Amino acid sequence: MTFLEQVGQAAVVRVEDAGAFTIQFWSVLRKLPRMLPIVGTGTRWRSVVQQMLAIGASALPMSGTMALCTGFILALQSASELRRFGALEFVVDLVAIGFTRELGPLITALSVSGRSASAISAEIGTMVVTEEIDALRVMGLDPVEFILAPKYLAALITIPCLTILSTLCGIFAGYLFLALSMDMSLRIYFQAVAEAILLRDVAFLLVKSLVFATIIVQVGCLEGLRVRGGPEAVGHSTTAAVVKSTFLVIFADLLATAIFYLMGWSSVK
Amino acid sequence: MTTSDAAKSSEAVISIREVSMSYGARQVLDRVDLDVYRGEILVLLGGSGSGKTTLLKQILGLAQPETGSIALNGVDITRCSQSELGAVRRRIGVAFQGGALFNSLSVADNVALPLRELTQLADSTIKLTVWMKLMAVGLSDAGSLYPPELSGGMRKRAAVARAMALDPEILIFDEPSAGLDPIVSAGLDELILFLKRSFGMTILVVTHELKSAFHIADRVAMLYRGRVIAVDTKERFAGNAHPRIRQFLDRQPDAAPGVAAEEFIASFLRGSKDDY
Repeated sequence: MTFLEQVGQAAVVRVEDAGAFTIQFWSVLRKLPRMLPIVGTGTRWRSVVQQMLAIGASALPMSGTMALCTGFILALQSASELRRFGALEFVVDLVAIGFTRELGPLITALSVSGRSASAISAEIGTMVVTEEIDALRVMGLDPVEFILAPKYLAALITIPCLTILSTLCGIFAGYLFLALSMDMSLRIYFQAVAEAILLRDVAFLLVKSLVFATIIVQVGCLEGLRVRGGPEAVGHSTTAAVVKSTFLVIFADLLATAIFYLMGWSSVK
Repeated sequence: MTTSDAAKSSEAVISIREVSMSYGARQVLDRVDLDVYRGEILVLLGGSGSGKTTLLKQILGLAQPETGSIALNGVDITRCSQSELGAVRRRIGVAFQGGALFNSLSVADNVALPLRELTQLADSTIKLTVWMKLMAVGLSDAGSLYPPELSGGMRKRAAVARAMALDPEILIFDEPSAGLDPIVSAGLDELILFLKRSFGMTILVVTHELKSAFHIADRVAMLYRGRVIAVDTKERFAGNAHPRIRQFLDRQPDAAPGVAAEEFIASFLRGSKDDY
């Protein structure tokens, strides 16, 4: 195979991936209204709640702790530089803005991607291997509605919540640092935080977390449904799901931040 | 009049015509013709790689053949709409090889699933139906168990109960005896015969298990390299002289690849000695 052929083949695979992702995303999106509690069929809401517990609630300790640690690291690293200019109080702005715009969504997405993208692809992959997906189809039940859509709706609800909570954890870590190093009071700290953060920063956080939720769940489902053959294929799909979703989350983060920057939304006041 | 003549006079419930399929250069199915008549048990025999899994997926509408048609109850599922396919599928029950039960649901909920999702029946009616189906497969006291707690044989019985939930006309079994010990497997054979006797179901069994095939079958079909090489009553099938069928029935191996490799290595060694 020549070099050109290899490049071409790799490109075709990527385009196929993107196409499969888009088709799946669209078909899941169309089923979302049926998942809702009052307007939907009602029976699906129960599995949505189950998924919310699995994807969101049980990820909270991990992503909260990760955010707390990262917040402290960020405060420590920036303080050593800012102290030289006698501007230690700017640690507040740095931690607050840094977490709301960037680290909160990213750290949450990375922890959920590690936990849930793998779990989703393993669960669906196993269902493919044991013919449960085929059984659903033969019974006339749509796997998209039955398996995929509850997971996606659960992620759309819980991941933004999770992001907000981890962001608060990260910002709280900044307070811990300042309280220890310069006896700043909690009230003054959070007043400074509230002044530093703009509403559009919060909107940006929510948009990002929705995009990340989409990437994590859809990649997890896509890799799971791709499983062919025996149980060892499930292992491959799990790895692929984590690697691809982590990569795509960071890449999407880059794109979103670049857009935010180029639109001039990032200049403070 | 033999049983096959009697069967032929009745209508074909599953009718497969000229179905071909290939993956790349490999021809998996080559103009397959097969009929399953109402009320009979047809056993489709085939070794690994004979194309029987592919054919089964196409009968269930999970895969499309490249050419040809598959009609279930007179509806060509290769050309019909999604809603027609859904209607046809409600008349078919499938017991998958490993059972394909949903692990998050109890056995009773597994059986109830198609009833809850696809019918408007009241809860009490569903409960009663589920109990009757579990009774029919001999699992009436296992309804509250979860699939991982079941033995292999129970899992297959539960799968049969779920397949029968909507009172299908056609039952399809994929490798019913795979992974079961002879006693449990014989029990499953009796269950299949019982279903035919008492519900008059049309049953298609895909397997490579000879003993069970000849016990339960009205007719036997043999798939070899993507072609149906024989369809006959089991008595006449057992006397078929086709070399591949003889080989299959007498359990003779193919020319072992090990022998060829040994010869190759031997000749290679001989050749390399000549070089010196």
